[in-house]
Amino acid sequence: MKKMSKWLVPLSMSAALLAACGGNESGGESLDENNANNAGNNQSNNGESNGEQSDVVETGEADQGVEATGDESVQLDMWIHQTGEEETDFYIKRIDEFNEAHEDIFVNVEIIIDDGGSSYSDSINAALVAGNLPDILALDGPYVASFAESDIIRSIDEYISVEDLEDFVDSIIQQGSYDGELYSLGAMEASIPLYYNKDIFEEEGIEAPTTIEDAWTWDEFLTVAQDLTTEDRYGLNLFMNYGVGEWLTFMGGPFVWSNNGELISEDGSTSDGYLNSPETVESLEFIKTLFEEGVVSLTPGEMQFEEGNAAMALGGPWIAVSAENADMNWGMMPYPYKEVPKSPSGSMAYGITTLSEHPEEAFQMMHWMTNEESTIGLSEVTGMPPVRESAFNAMDKYDELPWSVMRDQVLETAHARPQTPAYPVLTDAFAQAFHAAALGEDVEETLNQQVERVERELRRFQD
Amino acid sequence: MRTHKRYSLKTQEGKEALTGYLFLAPALLLLGIFLLYPMGTAFYYSLTDFYILRPNEKNFIGFENFQMIFGDAEFRQAFSNTLYFAFLVVPIQIGVALGLALLVNKKLRFKVFFRTAYFSPVVMSLVVVSILWTFMYNPNEGLINEMLSLLGIPEQPFLTSPDQAMNSIIVMSVWQGAGFQMMIFLAGLQNIPNHLYEAADIDGATTFQKFLHVTLPGLKNISLFIFITITIAAFKLLVQPMIMTQGGPLGSTKSLVYHIYEVGFNYRDVGYASAMAVVFTIMVLVITIIQRIAVKEERG
Repeated sequence: MKKMSKWLVPLSMSAALLAACGGNESGGESLDENNANNAGNNQSNNGESNGEQSDVVETGEADQGVEATGDESVQLDMWIHQTGEEETDFYIKRIDEFNEAHEDIFVNVEIIIDDGGSSYSDSINAALVAGNLPDILALDGPYVASFAESDIIRSIDEYISVEDLEDFVDSIIQQGSYDGELYSLGAMEASIPLYYNKDIFEEEGIEAPTTIEDAWTWDEFLTVAQDLTTEDRYGLNLFMNYGVGEWLTFMGGPFVWSNNGELISEDGSTSDGYLNSPETVESLEFIKTLFEEGVVSLTPGEMQFEEGNAAMALGGPWIAVSAENADMNWGMMPYPYKEVPKSPSGSMAYGITTLSEHPEEAFQMMHWMTNEESTIGLSEVTGMPPVRESAFNAMDKYDELPWSVMRDQVLETAHARPQTPAYPVLTDAFAQAFHAAALGEDVEETLNQQVERVERELRRFQD
Repeated sequence: MRTHKRYSLKTQEGKEALTGYLFLAPALLLLGIFLLYPMGTAFYYSLTDFYILRPNEKNFIGFENFQMIFGDAEFRQAFSNTLYFAFLVVPIQIGVALGLALLVNKKLRFKVFFRTAYFSPVVMSLVVVSILWTFMYNPNEGLINEMLSLLGIPEQPFLTSPDQAMNSIIVMSVWQGAGFQMMIFLAGLQNIPNHLYEAADIDGATTFQKFLHVTLPGLKNISLFIFITITIAAFKLLVQPMIMTQGGPLGSTKSLVYHIYEVGFNYRDVGYASAMAVVFTIMVLVITIIQRIAVKEERG
């Protein structure tokens, strides 16, 4: 017996380990000693009985009707990102409503944390490699091109109606298109107005423009920013505390576009002569000047604008929320420009995977999530602008200042970030160059270095 | 023992060996699944053009990825950043850990309090510590700059100057890590027999001489162990720059592991990232072997 036990310990340890690795996929019940003896029999039984049960669990709030139709209803898997709780609650509400309204389609939703870093895209990457992508998933606007290029998401041209196309704001269609085809639709836009502290402006006697036509040019912008900079106050906040990442491309892109510059050629084949063009250099030279003149801080505090330590700020729609909460007197101005007024654009959107066996039903879902009711509801919950002109017309908030400024930007000056499969490298290249300019480095030299990186990446897509 | 074994039954010996292997099985299984298998796949991927978005189109491209490493300016920068970090962190952290161990080994009041205090950063998550220090390093409202301004020293751009950022990360890393090695040194100090110190006292040795000729030789083996583990840990630098500086400013804090992570996950180039990972693994392996040889020679 002693020898037996000597054998048993390591054996059972390995067995336990294997069981742990295999996971509780079949049932989730741990095997007790009795079960272990005739595990074979029990497991097959468990498999059957649990199979039925797990259906109920997965479909969650499915009512009896759905179960009755059983095999006939189309099951769709959908992934959405979670950033804010209220936003996610809204998505779930809309998905439940979709399921109730459609007897023949049932959407299973999986919510994946999006920490603003890479956790959401890491999940997508893992599923991609394993071949486990859902039918429909949320993805960040600039990534549409690479997903389309690699045949991960499919074109929705055949499903979308002309009226629908016309109702969406141009920037959302621009963001969702690649190579002349539409792949993706989003439910929310984003924009960056030039926020200002009304009290400071009144004190200094500065008048804020309220329409795109009156928007400040760079020169006017710089002069005001310099005037507003004092010993204990910056003229402008560019939220450099967000780090060197997507923010700098999102916020900084319009400086290039409004100077008639581009980050990459229109056909996406090269960045040489675009990312390092005289126009782009001039744009970043302007950024460099802002920092050299001491108008902007490289390390602003989290609440620099809200606390009155910066007179103006180029910030996202969420700054309106925090400024309101801080009880400050704030307003919005249009984004300053050089030659043509341009403003930032783009947010999360939906794509239908090529793996999906039910693209038509998936499109119904995508359409539901981006229809007028959804985009208005989402806008009310998040404070982000809607994606449809009809929604802007239906929302009184956007008829008056300050929000009319954001509406005008979305409808008239919004410019999507470039649609290229090399976007991850391109955006990092631009962000690095922007940051280098802020640090006072040689703009042209950094841009030339970054062009080399982008060109190396682009070679991958030249077939 | 040897004679006993020779006369024991062959089957008996075999059985014992089998038992041994079975005991090893759980560990081997874990190592196999989570270490050897991923290492094998990484090596395989390093010879392909595996791009995450096209998992079904892996083409064998030989050593192309490895050739690319030589022309990669970012890799060179990340490599020299990592070396710089390791060359500074290893001696400083060993020195600080030894100093702390000597301090808390004295018969002080509140000895337990100090030991706990010095050890507490080790139990904190490195991510939390990195965020905390980012606040402390902030030029406008940060704790450290507030203290410096009391002394009349101007604001320091700790994390935003390419010249200071890595050094700031080194200081923070030593603060976070030294407590652990302090504990190991402490155990070593308490293993040095007291009679050696008494003998030295009789010979009229000064405190410094006692340290040099009794304490240090007594800690030799432990020091070598600490030396190797700190070196390996230093080469794996990732969390601090990721959280505190995103590798900036101007790439001055981009570490090798961080570069590999970015290329593999953000730029989706698993093939090239794997090639760099293979080079990195070999590099750490070589350093460890050199250190092992040094240990053996010291002992011999």
